[in-house]
Amino acid sequence: MISLHGLTKVFAGGVRALDAIDLTIADGEFFALLGPSGCGKTTLLRTIAGLETPTSGTIRINDTDVTSLPPGRRDVAMVFQDYAIFPHMSVADNIAYPLRIKKVPRAQRTARAAEVAATLSLGGLLDRRPSQLSGGQQQRVALARAIACHPRAFLFDEPLSNLDARLRLEARTFLKRLQRDLAVTTVFVTHDQAEALALADRIAVMSNGRMVQVGSPTDVFQRPATTFVAAFIGSTPMNLLPGKIADGALHVAGATLPSPTGLPDGTDIVYGVRPEYTDLTTTERPDAFPGAVSVLENLGTSTLVTLETAGPLIQTVVPEGDEPRLGTRAWAVPRRALIYRDDLLHTTAP
Amino acid sequence: MIRHTIGRLASTVFIAVTLALFTLPMLWLASAPFDATPTITTSIPEFTLRNFAAILDNPYALGSIRNSVIQGGGAAALVVVLAALAAYALSRVRVPGRDLLLYLLLLLSSVVTGTAAMVPVFELATRLDLIDTHLGVILVVSGGLLPAGIFILKDFMDETPTSYEESARVFGASPLQILRHIVVPLVRPGLATIAVWALASVWGGFLFQFILLRDPDKAPGSVILYTLFTEGGAPKLDLISTFSLLYSLPVVAMYLFVSQRYGFRFHGGIKR
Repeated sequence: MISLHGLTKVFAGGVRALDAIDLTIADGEFFALLGPSGCGKTTLLRTIAGLETPTSGTIRINDTDVTSLPPGRRDVAMVFQDYAIFPHMSVADNIAYPLRIKKVPRAQRTARAAEVAATLSLGGLLDRRPSQLSGGQQQRVALARAIACHPRAFLFDEPLSNLDARLRLEARTFLKRLQRDLAVTTVFVTHDQAEALALADRIAVMSNGRMVQVGSPTDVFQRPATTFVAAFIGSTPMNLLPGKIADGALHVAGATLPSPTGLPDGTDIVYGVRPEYTDLTTTERPDAFPGAVSVLENLGTSTLVTLETAGPLIQTVVPEGDEPRLGTRAWAVPRRALIYRDDLLHTTAP
Repeated sequence: MIRHTIGRLASTVFIAVTLALFTLPMLWLASAPFDATPTITTSIPEFTLRNFAAILDNPYALGSIRNSVIQGGGAAALVVVLAALAAYALSRVRVPGRDLLLYLLLLLSSVVTGTAAMVPVFELATRLDLIDTHLGVILVVSGGLLPAGIFILKDFMDETPTSYEESARVFGASPLQILRHIVVPLVRPGLATIAVWALASVWGGFLFQFILLRDPDKAPGSVILYTLFTEGGAPKLDLISTFSLLYSLPVVAMYLFVSQRYGFRFHGGIKR
């Protein structure tokens, strides 16, 4: 278990990278720190590792206060974005390096390295140098080195970002199974929302050194707490449309929709609906957003349609074969939508 | 077309002439020691090994090479150790005005072992009782080499990503272990470069060795070379050329060895 309390990091020069972070990560949990670059996610990971000293706040790992312990005594293993496998050592020596530091006898070290390497299908590569390995193999050597030292927690900094797209999917599945088998608490940093959704048991979405939302992938995807999270999560960005309550109804981008309860007339809201949760029709209806089809983007099994309306652009996803023609007048019907007030989630749309 | 051919011809001739100009002294060095009556021109030698026998009879010649090894090796070792530590610190720790400090050191280094500092250096060595000692020479020449050594090594250190060291730190390695296991092996080509460069500079160095050493038994080869003149000041070309050849061979051999052993850089391990 890792628990952070009031963790703050202010860099020289006044940049507040972490702002009073409170977080508890359960035993064996696969936890993602997600956010755009510069949001403080890597600083948070490095602070947990001990590579950065927090300005204030505490870090506890399994009920031991490690805030002032050096990295080597926190019993965590970190895999760096660039893997940082030592180029002058063989694969076996790399994997056994943590054990060498712990003064494990050579024979035992070699046996342990071979054992871990075998579970990660690196068995035949023990004598190779890192320069003789492919990107995927290098990543597995870095993982093997982390596993070899039996840490209480794994810390991964963008573990998949250096692999090419196809290998990344493969490595994602592999990593998820490995973490489940080892059942070691794992924190990983990513800027890729799809990676976070796919891998993590829980996700913390960060922005400007704060945690904007912490929850399961389903929570974060279906009920983003703020418009920032709503815009960040999802492979096609959510439509966030300004609207207003008037005459007991909700007026958004040319559509008249039922008003959520408890909001007086004249309230400004933001209506959020994912492109996947809208249907496209060519028959006029009052509870749909009217527009002209201006862009078609083929997504393989579906097509992303962009409608040009009087106000903002609206995107919707239509299944294969149902693509409208460019320039057609069409209506986007929201199926499942959220209503935000002052950038915070107010309620789901009725 | 013709213009092009003439251009090519001219550039080839120019390169050949330039090369010949630089090759001639080398040819002289290779042929003169074997010549019974060497002159300052290069010619087909009248073959003899008598010059080598004569040099071996010189009471100071072989001893001076040993002195060069002690002084050059000592200075190289000192420069490598101190420059590596300083360069590592300067590369990893944020010191305000770090670059200014480095450039100032570099600028001053040419003063420290320059002619201008001759008198103060001699005075200092006298007061510290370092006149006529190998240590005195080693300390003074190392002082002159260190800034450039730090400057070059810092570049090597800067090129080494910090994630290697951070990774070792998270596994619990102490700073000394990190230096020994990770940093030194990674910058080994740089260390070898500095060692060769330091040794070669001291090997050919003359002025400070000449000033700081009174006793010919402690003088390095570069100073002994200066004694191979007649009383009238005329060079004894047979001895000079032979000694020069013998004196340059160890450095050439060392250069070849180091370049063969360390003339490569490690790649991989960091995914860019």
